[in-house]
Amino acid sequence: MNKIIKNKKFSIGDFFPKNQRGTDKILSMYWFVILALVAGGIFAMVYNFYGAPYDVREVESAIFAEKITDCISREGIIDSEFFVDGIFNTKISESFIDKCNFNFKVEDEYGNEDFQYFYEVEFYTPEDAANPQFSLNGGNINWKNDCFIKKEKNKEYNKLAKCTERRFYALNEGGKQYLIKILSVIGKSEKNVRQ
Amino acid sequence: MKKRGTILVENVIFIILNLLFLSVLVLFLVKQGSGAIVLEQTYSKQIAMVADSAKPVMLIKMDMEKGKKIAEENGIGFNEVVKIDGNTVTVKLTEKGGYSYAFFNDVEVSSYADKDEKGDYTGMYVFTINKKETQDE
Repeated sequence: MNKIIKNKKFSIGDFFPKNQRGTDKILSMYWFVILALVAGGIFAMVYNFYGAPYDVREVESAIFAEKITDCISREGIIDSEFFVDGIFNTKISESFIDKCNFNFKVEDEYGNEDFQYFYEVEFYTPEDAANPQFSLNGGNINWKNDCFIKKEKNKEYNKLAKCTERRFYALNEGGKQYLIKILSVIGKSEKNVRQ
Repeated sequence: MKKRGTILVENVIFIILNLLFLSVLVLFLVKQGSGAIVLEQTYSKQIAMVADSAKPVMLIKMDMEKGKKIAEENGIGFNEVVKIDGNTVTVKLTEKGGYSYAFFNDVEVSSYADKDEKGDYTGMYVFTINKKETQDE
């Protein structure tokens, strides 16, 4: 009996015999290989999705623009602090951040001078929508250029700042109409984009 | 003569293994979506956005039931989950974890975990938005 086993040559057919049950076994083995591939794919996708931080910068810049709008005009009338004797008050640029209750010195990890915010407000007359009558800005001006770069679906482009542009018409107390353009920008790419 | 059907052991094992695989997959997906790290980030950013868009004087309630469960599982009191220091919100659901996000709105934000009449946490967090008091005042 031992002699017979010793001399027997094993072939693939011995492990997967060519009958119905053998075919079933091969099928189930392949089935588990497919399951493992599917599981691997799902794990990779889920890890990729939940591993990336939530990007809230678009919402944040929209809120920022909304806050600036509220600060400039109420019910279509521009705040009286923007004018002195009917002309624009240039000193408003210095006090705008305090007037609107903004605090940009909030990101300790970037340092107090490297603000993650930028805003720009421009006042135009309806007759000349190309040259602003008055403008003011604040925050980190380095972020502004990011708004004018054509963004593509690319990891590097995602790191660019997010911008919101708003336009609206409002009157001063004398009834003169102005077109106001607001640009709000949020940096914070470290906390919103996978590095 | 009718043939009687038989249940093969291999088939039963095959079905059990398939079900096991599917349940592990579903568990993994559910756990990933409601994991402490993801929730910490979600809550802190959500609270920061709420603080940014709020105006004094406001009282805002936020449902943090999922966070409460995870914090309790990790031995952290629900009243210690949210900390607001100046303009930075920190949400901590695990002992070693914690995620911070800053808001630009210069207002005084304070928070506390809401309790019911029996003194148990409801799973809601209350945020009060007030004007920031200047140091001179």
